[in-house]
Amino acid sequence: MSETATLPATAVPAQAQRRRRVRPSALARIGLIALLAVLPLYIDVGLLTIGLFAMAAVVAAIGLTILVGAAGQLSLAHAFFLAVGAYGYAYFAGSAGVAGASSATGLGLDPLLAAVLAVLVAGFVGLLFSPIASRLRGIYLGVASLSLVFIGEFLYENVRSVTGGFNGRAAPPFSLFGWEFTDANTLVVAGVPFGRFEKLWELFLIVLVLSYLFANNVLRGRMGRAMQTMRDSEVAAAVMGVDVRRTKAGVFVLSSMYAGLGGVMVALAFGRLTPSYFSLALSIGFLAAIVVGGLGSVGGAAVGAFFVTAGPLLITRYSSSLPFISASGSGGYDGGKAAALLYGLAVVLVVLFEPGGLAGLGQRLTGRRTARVLAPAPLTGSSKPEESS
Amino acid sequence: MTATATTPVTAADVPPLVLRDVTVAFAGLTALDAVSFTVEPGTVHALIGPNGAGKSTAFNVVSGIYRCGAGSVRFGDHDLTSLRPHRIARLGVARAFQNIALSKGQTVVENLMLGRHGLTRAGFVRSGLRLPSATREGVRHGARVREIAAFVGLGDKLDRPAGLLSYGDQKRVEVARALACEPRLLLLDEPVAGMNADEKARMAGLIAQVRKELGISILLVEHDMGLVMGISDRVTVLDFGRCIAEGTPAEVQTDPEVVKAYLGTGEEP
Amino acid sequence: MTDFLNYLVNGISLGGTYALIALGFVVVFKATEVVNFAHGSLLVLGGYVIARLAGDVPFVVAVLLGCLVAAVGAVLVERLYSWRLRDSNVNALAILTIGIDILLITELTRRFGPDILPTGDPWGNAVVDLGIAKIAQARLVGIGVTAVLLVAFFVAFKYSSWGIAMRAGAEDGEAAALMGVRRGRVTMTAWAVAGVLAAVAAVFLCAFPTPGIDASVRQTALRAFPAAILGGLDSTAGAVVGGLAIGIAEAMTGGYGVRLAGGNLNDVVPYLVMLVVLLVRPSGLLGTRELTRV
Repeated sequence: MSETATLPATAVPAQAQRRRRVRPSALARIGLIALLAVLPLYIDVGLLTIGLFAMAAVVAAIGLTILVGAAGQLSLAHAFFLAVGAYGYAYFAGSAGVAGASSATGLGLDPLLAAVLAVLVAGFVGLLFSPIASRLRGIYLGVASLSLVFIGEFLYENVRSVTGGFNGRAAPPFSLFGWEFTDANTLVVAGVPFGRFEKLWELFLIVLVLSYLFANNVLRGRMGRAMQTMRDSEVAAAVMGVDVRRTKAGVFVLSSMYAGLGGVMVALAFGRLTPSYFSLALSIGFLAAIVVGGLGSVGGAAVGAFFVTAGPLLITRYSSSLPFISASGSGGYDGGKAAALLYGLAVVLVVLFEPGGLAGLGQRLTGRRTARVLAPAPLTGSSKPEESS
Repeated sequence: MTATATTPVTAADVPPLVLRDVTVAFAGLTALDAVSFTVEPGTVHALIGPNGAGKSTAFNVVSGIYRCGAGSVRFGDHDLTSLRPHRIARLGVARAFQNIALSKGQTVVENLMLGRHGLTRAGFVRSGLRLPSATREGVRHGARVREIAAFVGLGDKLDRPAGLLSYGDQKRVEVARALACEPRLLLLDEPVAGMNADEKARMAGLIAQVRKELGISILLVEHDMGLVMGISDRVTVLDFGRCIAEGTPAEVQTDPEVVKAYLGTGEEP
Repeated sequence: MTDFLNYLVNGISLGGTYALIALGFVVVFKATEVVNFAHGSLLVLGGYVIARLAGDVPFVVAVLLGCLVAAVGAVLVERLYSWRLRDSNVNALAILTIGIDILLITELTRRFGPDILPTGDPWGNAVVDLGIAKIAQARLVGIGVTAVLLVAFFVAFKYSSWGIAMRAGAEDGEAAALMGVRRGRVTMTAWAVAGVLAAVAAVFLCAFPTPGIDASVRQTALRAFPAAILGGLDSTAGAVVGGLAIGIAEAMTGGYGVRLAGGNLNDVVPYLVMLVVLLVRPSGLLGTRELTRV
């Protein structure tokens, strides 16, 4: 905002002025979060569900953009780690003989504990894969990681006690210190009943904001610099003292945990898990999301994941009023296919014309530094005056 | 941990770097054949030779990127031969690359902060949660990095993306990043290659200053004979992977083997 | 013993088909450093053309046209990236092919709809008794055609000016340029070869006892990726070794009904084999080892 410049200069010391200039974007972000927080008061359950899926996807996509965008390690295994988180939650929190008559069992743990454990297990499985993840260069990892998707598909169908097999299993609702996120104890907020979806929405929004901040902090910090240099040149990173293998393994674990968290959110939003959801197409969708958003940009990943996830659902929902879109199964372009074509095209166009993705485009339009696709802010939080020259 | 005092480092204990009978072969081709030399503490030691003589290979062996088939590399009490590169870096061996290997999208400060990687601790959790220890560490090392930038004359370009700097400045960022590791041995790979006379003079001045004020050892690969003869204490000459001469610049310049290697059959474009 | 030989012969047939796919993948990588994730979709494209033409034109003509379309498709991909991205990093190129893969497979899935189309091959469900083993006629032909194609490929790779340029180019792009090798033509040929091999592979991947072709064949084709990786992404011989290894492993585990946790292991055996190999040799069985250590 340029108003700050016209303020009486005497009233604002140079340093404060400098700080104030960063404010507008921060204000805009807080405004956006506030807007999202009150949205459940205005939109119907259908849109709320779409929003929940989108938020789950955003969290998972943030993890992938750290791995692929910042560290340069291509992975197609993201869907697998989502599944680990989702089934993990359902298994830890579920109880044996729950409705649905599937063969799935569970440990009946507290949902919050179950969610935390599920994320940790996703990280642990990522760690198990790290002897491979840490020694392969980005592109080899891309193909090797395919294996996890297919091995995963095999496991979802066959480890029935955890997954319920082909027909899937139910995921128990969340509860926080005994307070259930269900329609059973509906609150009324501003005249609007707050049931399961509304409550989950607020919970997801908090998780999303925290995930976003954590990722941004990591990328701006010591490990973020290390992984970005590693992406540009492994040799340079190693010679500067970065343990490349360990860093690769660490990034892979972090990314797996983000995926696991996204998976827990999917389980909560969906309430039911089926193997077909965690297919290769899901992994590819995430890759498309972070590429379109701008590789390595946490904000870009959020926007990209929103489009890739919500896009097909929105197109399907409004298909009757959209041109060229036909009903599912009629042989034309149904919502899913139309959206897939759109994001496939978006990926191709972004790679060809705007490698910085939406984030790069945004930076260009707002006139920020152009040479940086990845834009960690200056290093120290304290805007210490420079002592030199 | 190396102190981050406000004065330039004065390397208390700079050990010698000793290469003994180092041999490296790739697919039958011998890149280094029983090469031995010693970089004495606090000296500038130049490694010269025609293209393909094995100078870069020697650098890669010292920094741990290539494993040598036979022989050993010792840095004081430490045997570097089987260590991975980051371990070697953390022992105080830093390197500035010939073909600039900066992260072009990151700022000068961020590039220099990478040099502090081995001296700092903040991992994923600490920086992700912005724990006070991580923030303090960042501030402290940020200050030191700014001093180093000022020392090499980049004080006014700290927040510029490295990729947007002039060639000469990028080469200086390379050197500054290596210095940010607080090295006891600095490896400089063709620091003035491709520079104009002005930039060359500045770089030569910087190298002399590093040696004088920091007191660390410098191992230098360079084609520019004017620079080599001007600033080196000792010179080792490689040809076809073999050490053919060693001595002071004056001795080496008159060595018949060296003259032959440079003017005779060994010369390549 | 009879079982074993049966499974072995079937494994060789399947492995040969994987080898064709993996070889195309490797050739493209060697020529252009592109990991072509659209390779599976190009295979489906070739197969789709063949199946659509079945009945209208003689089978051989259909196959030739299928090969042509797959080759043209592959060359278009090559043109697209070399137009804008000649010096981009490998990840960007791989992601571009993922984008193309999304487009191709979505459109092909729509065109197939719920149908499984026969490829119109003349071998039907005939089974040949070799004395030591019984094998579907289509598979036997598959082994023969694969052998011929592989021999032709390696002869071309060794002696043709394209093959020499390919090998020179892979080793030293600059030297190849000095030799007057035209990179564009070499890389276009590499992609075209990959397309042709994929289309041929589509025929045998979908022949009896498989009922025919639909878009899900891409999933099967993807099993050739581990073949390429385990052989070594930059090794043509490795692609053949990897293809055969995976084909035989799959036929054996399938044949003997090896089960894990109640499921048939043969579905995932290619991936398990790849992971085990990568643990021991990160650049594959015959791939070039990294000189540098980090």
